[in-house]
Amino acid sequence: MTLGFGLLLLWTFVGHRRGPVPDSGAGLAHYRELLTAAGAAWALAWTWIFGAERAALAFSPAEVAFLLPAPIRRRSLIQFKLLHAQGRILGNTLLWTLLLSANSFGAHAWMRAVAAWVLLSTLSLHRLGASFVRHSLWEHGAAGFRRRIPTLIVLAGVASLVIAIAAQDLPALVQASRGGGLALLAALNSASERPLPALLLFPFRVLVRPIVAHDISSWARALGPALLVLLAHFVWVLRSDTAFEEAAAEESFRRASAAMGGTAAALPAPGAQLSGPPFLLAATGWPATAIYWKNLIAAARARRIRNTVLAAGGTAALLAFLSIRRTGPLPSIIGALAATWAALSLVMGPQWVRNDLRTDLARLELLRSYPLRGAAIVAAETAAAATVLTAVQVMLIVFAYSATLGDPGMELTLAGRTALLAGAVVVLPFVNYAGLLLQNGAALLYPAWVRIGPGRSTGVEGLGQNMLGMLAYAVALLVMLLVPGGAAVGVWLVLRPIAAGAAVVAAIGAGVGLLAVESWLLVRPLGRVFERIDITAAGISRD
Amino acid sequence: MIEVLALTKLYGGFEAVRDLTFTVADGEVLGVVGPNGAGKTTTIRTIAGIIAPTSGTIRVSGYDIQTESVAAKSGLAFLPDEPHLFEYLTVEEHLLFVGRLYGVADTRERIGPLLAELELDAKRRALPGELSRGMKQKLAIACGLLHRPTALLFDEPLTGLDPVGIRRMKETITRRASEGAAVLLSSHLLHLVEEICTRVLVMQRGHLIALGTVTEIVDARPELAGLSLENLFLTLVGGHAT
Repeated sequence: MTLGFGLLLLWTFVGHRRGPVPDSGAGLAHYRELLTAAGAAWALAWTWIFGAERAALAFSPAEVAFLLPAPIRRRSLIQFKLLHAQGRILGNTLLWTLLLSANSFGAHAWMRAVAAWVLLSTLSLHRLGASFVRHSLWEHGAAGFRRRIPTLIVLAGVASLVIAIAAQDLPALVQASRGGGLALLAALNSASERPLPALLLFPFRVLVRPIVAHDISSWARALGPALLVLLAHFVWVLRSDTAFEEAAAEESFRRASAAMGGTAAALPAPGAQLSGPPFLLAATGWPATAIYWKNLIAAARARRIRNTVLAAGGTAALLAFLSIRRTGPLPSIIGALAATWAALSLVMGPQWVRNDLRTDLARLELLRSYPLRGAAIVAAETAAAATVLTAVQVMLIVFAYSATLGDPGMELTLAGRTALLAGAVVVLPFVNYAGLLLQNGAALLYPAWVRIGPGRSTGVEGLGQNMLGMLAYAVALLVMLLVPGGAAVGVWLVLRPIAAGAAVVAAIGAGVGLLAVESWLLVRPLGRVFERIDITAAGISRD
Repeated sequence: MIEVLALTKLYGGFEAVRDLTFTVADGEVLGVVGPNGAGKTTTIRTIAGIIAPTSGTIRVSGYDIQTESVAAKSGLAFLPDEPHLFEYLTVEEHLLFVGRLYGVADTRERIGPLLAELELDAKRRALPGELSRGMKQKLAIACGLLHRPTALLFDEPLTGLDPVGIRRMKETITRRASEGAAVLLSSHLLHLVEEICTRVLVMQRGHLIALGTVTEIVDARPELAGLSLENLFLTLVGGHAT
C-alpha cells in the first residue's frame, strides 16, 4: 500500500521531468495535487479493505505487564503509543523530504518536511482509527456495529459515491486512455472537477495541498486546513479508547506469539474464515511431505500473501483486458515493471519468502523430535519456500505476458513469449530451490547472521545485514549456476544446427538436471548440520 | 523400554549431566526429580534426540537414538512443559500433520475419538491462538499419543493445567503405562511423583543421587527411614528436612 502510494508520488515527479506537458507548470501542479490526493485515497481504501497496519498498537511484553494493569488512563496510553509512533513518522518524513523534488513540490526543504509530516501523521492516524473500527466490528458484532454507526454512515456514503462515480465516468476514462497517458490524465482531471468526485477527493486534496504548494503563501494557506484534518483524526482516534485497549492487547499477543516462533502476526484474526490446505495430506507416504504441506499452509494463511494473491488475480485479468482492447500504454508499463520485478525476485525473493527453516528453526526442539532424517527436513522446508517464490514469480511473468497480449509492437512474437513463459515455469523452481537451499544453509551454518523466526531484520542494522546477506547470496547463487548454465549453453550450441527447438529443450533439461544434482549434493551435508547443530550453543532455542 | 548408559552432556566446561545410567522398563513410570539446574531437562531432551550427548548411549525400544534415530523416534513421544504448536495449523491439521510424520495409517479414523477423549472435538477447526493454555496442552498430548508411542517423555506435565486437566493428565500417564509404555517424567511436584511413579531418580548438579522405589532408596540409606518423599528429597539434595 505504502509502496503504491510512493510509486504514485514518484511517478508524478518523473512525469514532470520527462513527458511533454500540456500546460504550464501551474497545470502540472494541478495534476500533481490530483494524483497525490488519489494516491492517499487509494492508500486509505487499501487500509479499509485489506486491514490496517497496526504496528503502532503493539506493546512489548514488559509494557503489557506493567502499563495495561497500571492505574493509567487509556487515553494516556494512546497518547504514549502515538508519541512512540512519531519516531517512525519522522524518519519517513526525512526520507520523503529528500526524495521529493524541490522543482515539483515545495521549494524549501522545511516546507516539504512540515507538509510530509502532516500528511504521514494523518495517514497513520487514519490507519489506526480504521483498525479500531474493524476490530470493534469483528469482536463485538452487532454491538460494535451500533457503537460505530457514525463512522459506518460516512463509510457507506463514501462507498456509494465511489460506485456512482465509477458508473458515470469509467467509460469516458477508458475511451480517453486510448489516447495515451496524458489524455487519460486530462480526462481524470476533468472528471475529478465534477461535484461528486470533487466532494470525495476534497479531504484528500486538503491534506496534500501543502505538499504540492510551490510558494510560502500558498503553502501557509493550505497548511491550516490540513492541520484541521490532522486534528480531526487525532480526536477520532483518541475517542476510540476502549477499542484501543482491546485491539492493542490482541496485537501485542499476536506479536508475542510471532516472537515465540509462529507467524501469528500475519495470521487471520481468531474466528475468521480460514483458507483450506493446499492439498489433501495422505496419512502415509514420504513423512517429510507433512512439513511441505504445513509450510504451504503457513504461507497461504499469512494475510499479506492472501491479499497479494487476490490483488494479483484481479490485476492480471485487468491487464489482459486492457491490453487486448488496446486502451493505452498503461498495460505495457505495468508489464515491464512486472517483468523487472520477476527478474529482481531471483535475488531478492529468497530474502522475502521465508516459510522455511529460517522461520522453523525457532522450533528446532520440535523438529528434532520428529522421526525424520535431517536431510529430509531441510529438503521439505526448502521446497515449500521454493514453491511459494515460484508461484509469485510465475504470477509476475503472467502479468507481463497478459499485459503484452495485444501489443503488436513487441520484438518477441507471441509464440516466443509463450515459449519463454513455459520455459520460466520449468526453470524457476530449480533455480529457486537452489537459491533457497543456500539461504537455509546460511541459517544452519551461521544462525547468528540470519534472522531466525518470523519477520525480517529491520532498522539500520538490519538493513546493513540484509544488504551483506544479499550480496553474499548473489555471489553464491552465481557460483552454483555456473556449471548448469555452462552445460545448458554448451548443449544448445551443439544441438542448435541440428534442431533449434529441440536444442532449447535439451539445454533447459541439461541445466535444470545439473542444478537438481547440485541441490541434492547440498541437501545431504546440510541435513547432517541440522542433526548436529547444538541448539543451546547456536542460541536459537527459545527455551 | 528406555535405556540410558553412561550419559554425559557437557556445555564447554560445564557438566550438565555426568555419567548417568538408568533404564525405564515397559509399563513403568520413572519420576526424575531434582533442584533447578540438576540436569533433568537436559536428560529428557537428550533421550528425545533433541540434543546430542557428549558421550554415552541411549536406546529407545532397542534403537540407538544417535545411530538409528528415525526408528528410535518413531516409537517415542516427547511432551515438553510448554506445548509447541504451529500457530497457523488448526487442531485437526496438527493431528493430520503428526499422523503423516509418524505414518499412522488410520489417522483420520483416530482423530475423532482422540479429540472426544480430550474434549477438543468442538475446537477441531480452531487455531492454537483460539485455545486456552489447558486446551493447547491437550492438543500437544493428542499429537504425542496419536502414533501410540511405546516410550513417553514428559517434562513438567502439569504446568498450567487446571484441577480437571491435572486429573486427566495423571490418568493419561498411568493408562499409557498400564498399556505397556515406558514413561519418564520430570517434575518439581513431589506429590505427583509420589502418586503415579513406580520409581524415582534424584539428580543434583548433573549427577545421579538416588534411584529406585522409595523403599529401595531408604533401604540403601537407613537414616532416611520414616521421611516423606519431600523430606527425603530435601535431605538427599542437601536442603533441610522438617
